[in-house]
Amino acid sequence: MKQFRNMVYPYVAWIAVMIVAPMLMIVLYAFTTAGNDVTTIRFTLDNFARFFSDQVFLDVLWRSLFIAVITTIICVLVGYPIAYAIAQRSEKSNMFWVLVITMPTWINMMVRTYAWVGILQDGGLINSLLGPFGIGPFKMMYTTFAVVLGMVYNFIPFMILQIHTSLTKMDKSYLEAAADLGANKVQSFLRVTLPLSLPGVLSGITLVFLPAVSSFFIPKLLGGGQYVLIGNVIETQFLTSGDWNFGSAISLIMAVIIMISMYITRKVDTDPAARGKED
Amino acid sequence: MKKLIAMMLAGAMLFAATGCSSDNGGSTEDAVAKYGSDTLKLYNWGEYMGENLISDFEKEFGVKVIVEYFDSNEMMYTKLQGGDSYDVLVPSDYMIERLISEGMLQELDLSKIPNIANLAEGVKNLPYDPDNTYSVPYFWGNVGIVYNHNNVDPADVEAEGWNILKDTKYAGHIYMYDSERDAFMTAFKALGYSMNTENEDEIQAAYEWLLEMNNTMEPVYVTDEVIDGMANGNKDIAVMYSGDAAYVLDTNEDMSYWMPTEGTNLWSDAMVIPANAENPALAHEFINYVLSYDASYGNSEYVGYASSNQEVLDTLSGEGGYYENNEAYLPRSGYEKDEVFHDNQTLKKILSELWIKVKASKA
Repeated sequence: MKQFRNMVYPYVAWIAVMIVAPMLMIVLYAFTTAGNDVTTIRFTLDNFARFFSDQVFLDVLWRSLFIAVITTIICVLVGYPIAYAIAQRSEKSNMFWVLVITMPTWINMMVRTYAWVGILQDGGLINSLLGPFGIGPFKMMYTTFAVVLGMVYNFIPFMILQIHTSLTKMDKSYLEAAADLGANKVQSFLRVTLPLSLPGVLSGITLVFLPAVSSFFIPKLLGGGQYVLIGNVIETQFLTSGDWNFGSAISLIMAVIIMISMYITRKVDTDPAARGKED
Repeated sequence: MKKLIAMMLAGAMLFAATGCSSDNGGSTEDAVAKYGSDTLKLYNWGEYMGENLISDFEKEFGVKVIVEYFDSNEMMYTKLQGGDSYDVLVPSDYMIERLISEGMLQELDLSKIPNIANLAEGVKNLPYDPDNTYSVPYFWGNVGIVYNHNNVDPADVEAEGWNILKDTKYAGHIYMYDSERDAFMTAFKALGYSMNTENEDEIQAAYEWLLEMNNTMEPVYVTDEVIDGMANGNKDIAVMYSGDAAYVLDTNEDMSYWMPTEGTNLWSDAMVIPANAENPALAHEFINYVLSYDASYGNSEYVGYASSNQEVLDTLSGEGGYYENNEAYLPRSGYEKDEVFHDNQTLKKILSELWIKVKASKA
């Protein structure tokens, strides 16, 4: 194997250039003032102070976390039964259903989200179908409902796939053993299947929560410009006001929050109590 | 004998084929000889060109045009700063002012752009580049109020102007344009200030004007979605660019357009050649081509924004013209309360932060 070790270097170089360098740039921007050149760099904590001293930004942060948590909870509640139902089927039909679940992701996310505008808007698909029956029209566009719907729709495949994988990986003999020991279906689900599938749920949560908390075009399209989440604030800093330092600082704050939540998730994941009785 | 006929036929076909191609305009070799390259890189707004503009230009001059699209001046500027090279850009007034001051544009050789003689009166002597040293206008217009005259009393719009955006009678039926520039322009003008003001009290007053609007009117902040939204009649009042408004009025006859008497933003987008352009010779040819009657007519009729060619403007808005009865097509010019937006980075930062605060604050 030793002769292959040198082949790692291109990847290390790749990671350094494509991942580490941009991250370091963000950190550098976050801790400096505007208008620096290479020779004079002025460090500052002002960018962070500006964020935490302004109630408006804290409200936005809070709202973003709230929306992301709601989205994640709905994805678990809806995604788990779907993943479970698929895992119960034959191997062939499993492949088919996984294909169906991933199919929407073949289409660009932006286009898929735009499609919801057509479905939800005042004169859109739902309202024009309900109209003849005298129901509605419902105001759905530019509401929290629309934003959460858009996020759940876009991110739920990640949840379903993760749970599905952990369910199909599961050794079926555990269920037979549980049945032998007199457990009924509900008991064996709660005490065998559910704990064994938790790692899948947890990685699903990570995969849904991360994009949900930083998404900016879903709230923009479905919530309208007045639906400001933290991703939109960051976008504005980079693209409109050109304040890269403040934008980087907010990005860094978000990165720290995400790292903390991932750490907590990992902690729960490795906690044997949450993993079922493996000892 | 058969062979001879076959050869003659082949010769005739070959002749026909070459004859055909020279009929269609320049060839690639000619273009390379004349301009040094046969490729033009154009960076323009999305939905901003007539259907045949690019293909006609390519055919006539035997060149290839690579088009990229931006949806904001800032996005274009960010890419330009990243070192991307283009031959022709179409930024807005204040952005051109900034690009000039930062030395990112090259001077035009107006002798290569004879069609500039047709330039519309409304876009002559614009403050950011009065002698067209760096830029030649592409489209121009203003910002106004589009409203559904069945649901909104025209007398209200005309009497209240921008302040109709705070008339709670119409709460919940409003689209506001989602950019700090346009939002603060409406507030400044409603309060009777200059839209380029740097006065802190005036900025604070405008901020409070917008906050009150945000908290009492349930406005929806959109950018390009406003076009379909108003064309479908989803809301009754919208702040819109005149060219988009012309399209809305064209599609939905319930809609009208009003240019508030308190004044508005008179803007223009113009073609410029960046300093690092690879093919400035062809860029001049393209700019001249866009100013020609046919190309400008095609652009303006298709997109709905006012042409920078006076003749086209007269034809389209005149008797029998496509936009004859469309009050949004022809921008008001020479009205003293209308202003051109100036580049001011410090102000922009302040307004941008205030605007996101307005949007993020919920009553």
